[in-house]
Amino acid sequence: MDLINVENIRFEDKISRLFTPARTVFSLGPVNFDLQAGETLAIIGDNGSGKSLLAKLLVGLETPSSGKILLNGLALSTAHHKQKCHDIRMIFQNSTGSLNPGITVGAMLEEPLILNTELNVQERLSKIDNTLRLVGLLDDHKFFYRHMLSDGQKQRVALAKALILDPKVIVADEPFAALDPSVRSQTVNLLMGLQRDLGLGFIFISHNLGIVRHVADKILVMENGAVIESGKTDVIFNWPKEDYTKRLIETHQQLVNSQYN
Amino acid sequence: MILLDVKNLTLELELAGEWVKALDKINLVINQGQIHALVGESGSGKSLIVKAIVGALPNKRWKITADRMNWRGQDLLSMSVQKRREIVKSDISVIFQNPINSLDPLLNLGDQLKQSINIAALPKHLFWQRNQYKNRRVEELLHRVGIKNHERFLKTYPHQIPSNLLQKFMVAMALASDPKLIIADDPTRGMEVTSKAQILRLLSRVNQVKDTSILFVSHDLLAISSMSHCMTVLYSGQTVETGELQQLRKRAYHPYTQALLDSAPSFRKDLPPKSPLTTLAGTIPTLHHLPIGCRLGPRCPRARKECVVTPSPRKIHGHYYSCHYPLHWAGR
Amino acid sequence: MAQFNLYQEEYHPSPWQYTWIAFKENHIAVVGLFCLLFFVFITLFSPIIAPFDPTYQTTGDLLIPPAWFDNGGISHLLGTDALGRDMLSRVLYGCRMTFGISVLLVLLTMLIGVGIGAVAGMSKGFRSSFVNHTLDSIKAIPTLLIAIIIVAILGTGLVNSMWAIMLALIPQFVHQTREFISNEMQKEYVMASKLDGASNIQLFFRTILPNMGEVLVVQCTLALSISVLDISALGFLNLGAQGSLPELGHMLSEGIEVAYLAPWTIAIPGGAIFLMMISINLVGDGLRSALRNRLLHS
Repeated sequence: MDLINVENIRFEDKISRLFTPARTVFSLGPVNFDLQAGETLAIIGDNGSGKSLLAKLLVGLETPSSGKILLNGLALSTAHHKQKCHDIRMIFQNSTGSLNPGITVGAMLEEPLILNTELNVQERLSKIDNTLRLVGLLDDHKFFYRHMLSDGQKQRVALAKALILDPKVIVADEPFAALDPSVRSQTVNLLMGLQRDLGLGFIFISHNLGIVRHVADKILVMENGAVIESGKTDVIFNWPKEDYTKRLIETHQQLVNSQYN
Repeated sequence: MILLDVKNLTLELELAGEWVKALDKINLVINQGQIHALVGESGSGKSLIVKAIVGALPNKRWKITADRMNWRGQDLLSMSVQKRREIVKSDISVIFQNPINSLDPLLNLGDQLKQSINIAALPKHLFWQRNQYKNRRVEELLHRVGIKNHERFLKTYPHQIPSNLLQKFMVAMALASDPKLIIADDPTRGMEVTSKAQILRLLSRVNQVKDTSILFVSHDLLAISSMSHCMTVLYSGQTVETGELQQLRKRAYHPYTQALLDSAPSFRKDLPPKSPLTTLAGTIPTLHHLPIGCRLGPRCPRARKECVVTPSPRKIHGHYYSCHYPLHWAGR
Repeated sequence: MAQFNLYQEEYHPSPWQYTWIAFKENHIAVVGLFCLLFFVFITLFSPIIAPFDPTYQTTGDLLIPPAWFDNGGISHLLGTDALGRDMLSRVLYGCRMTFGISVLLVLLTMLIGVGIGAVAGMSKGFRSSFVNHTLDSIKAIPTLLIAIIIVAILGTGLVNSMWAIMLALIPQFVHQTREFISNEMQKEYVMASKLDGASNIQLFFRTILPNMGEVLVVQCTLALSISVLDISALGFLNLGAQGSLPELGHMLSEGIEVAYLAPWTIAIPGGAIFLMMISINLVGDGLRSALRNRLLHS
């Protein structure tokens, strides 16, 4: 059975003024895809092609105008908000911005537990410790504030925050873009390891085709709010159909192969 | 011919009452007509080097010392501020990573481009012809960077233009004064592949046509390796390795260079998908907590007792490296 | 870190400690802080320190000059006023009244203002813009003027003037809070907690409030200086404290009648107001720049 199943999701961004009829500024979709447990889906496309919007639709920051998202065969709607919080979690692009500067890491991690689970204080604390260790941090990091952490550690805390509710799917908006090469490969390794161990579904947006090729099982190519191509990574990279995809892949290959001679 | 020759550039800054070496004995040589890449992660001092070269650091909180910092034979450090500005203005242009922040939002693009044209370099003419000359020059510049619809483009303001086009415009602005050296400070950060490739092609064309040297500052190895001749790798304010790019990629002597090369999955064709990437443990040290000796020490897989002493640069075939226990060494 | 550190222990102060470190750098602000603490001390303990009852009139000793004058006496250190009341006790009680009431007012105003501001900041559309524009238009009028208008409606008296100042101060808190909250709402960490399923109230108390402390403290010092000034101004205009209440502004206006004869009756309460204002403003200013430095730092 599919872990997550997205059927015909559409979204229309409308501007309505008092006297003029509402007009559509941007429309997204229809988007269809499905993902098995332990699989990775990469979304690629230009700036402004609606990648981030799609991510927001998946985690529920925006509500789609039509279509549905099935999780383990069950339709998710706004009524299942709590379940959605549990099962689909998001990592933001800017790990610095997504951590609260005024409270400690421990308090940050405790918040989703208080809001979504019935655990008592003791259970919460042990859960926090376990999750911190899972992402390669120490128990003591829960007393740290945001400004005491390095970039890589911030990314790990953001990941811990996503993982603490034992989600089934993680959605990430450019998780590697702001990281330095050595920290980036650490994070990639960590994510792949966690995915293998926990059987997570992982959906991420990226510009970096090298990483996409390395990590993703499936690819979704978007242009102007529409999905123009989707399929297995190998297929897309070797036999792209659409012009846009061809151009993207070709440029990437050129960059990889061309060296100054 | 050697354009820029920097030897043992050290930059100290005061942090909580203590002087910290943000740059520690940096060596950098840029030849005429060369694209030289400066690679390093954040905090490695790339931007500081750029600022030190163009003299954009305020003198107060910094101490800059160098054995040599020559621009075409003239010593940059000992000359007057006035003269240095003069040289930087006529010979060096800088392209910044974020074009929208480095342009004036209130002037249209045409005016800004005209401002950066060096009047002295124009042929002799009467003053009423000046504007005409300028307009012709602006047109020529825009065509050279591949912006076609120049008349409409020149009337627009920075916020109306997408950022990849704006970055091309920045290249045009950098070319306006006919510089000998263009410093590109991470010009392709955050761009997607196609626009990145365009900018890179543009820069290497500028290099080929005009024989302009380019100092390309970035941490994107893919971009660097597609166009550069030479590469200098920085780590935490120390030069780790310098040499011709091909040589470096084939045989890196410093463990950090190797780790950097390995961290980009695109470079390794034999790598099966989903296999773990090789990486260095730990994170980049902050300025408050710089390790003594070789600053890679705590993260280095080959570190030994001697690494607490800063290694001096060694040279083989024009390929400098600073490491006590270089890779690929046992076989030689 | 100038001193030698054997173990490279990382010392990472929390955001509040950072502010304190930056505040300590500014020596004048620290002096202001001590001055302010002195006033807090007086406010708390003036009944114990004061030698006389502030309203007790010694009929024989009218207009006795302070002790350092030739004809002054040791029993009345700062002299007496036209009704023979001891100036020292009156000033001590006056500080207690003016300063204490101001602090109380500011705390109450903060509660109300932050409450309204939070509602305005978290809501969208008409409700938010209504609150915002109404209060902004009120904010354009000086607080003293509003206070005078309100006193004119309610009638004079200390309690009425307290109400008036409170109402006049609320818009500033609302504005500040609204601004801050609507700024923070854009940030990703708030979005992240929204995804955790936090309701608006939880969002405010758990996520935004911890970051708001310093902004509020700065705004409080501003409001404190305004309210001290307004209370004494209303007292001086005979709109606030009435009768024999020892309130600094009111004491000034009483002293004016005998100003040529006995200048100390206005110099001493005037000096007290001056010192109070300066110390509050120094601390406020120091906090503001400390906050700015901290934000640059982290």
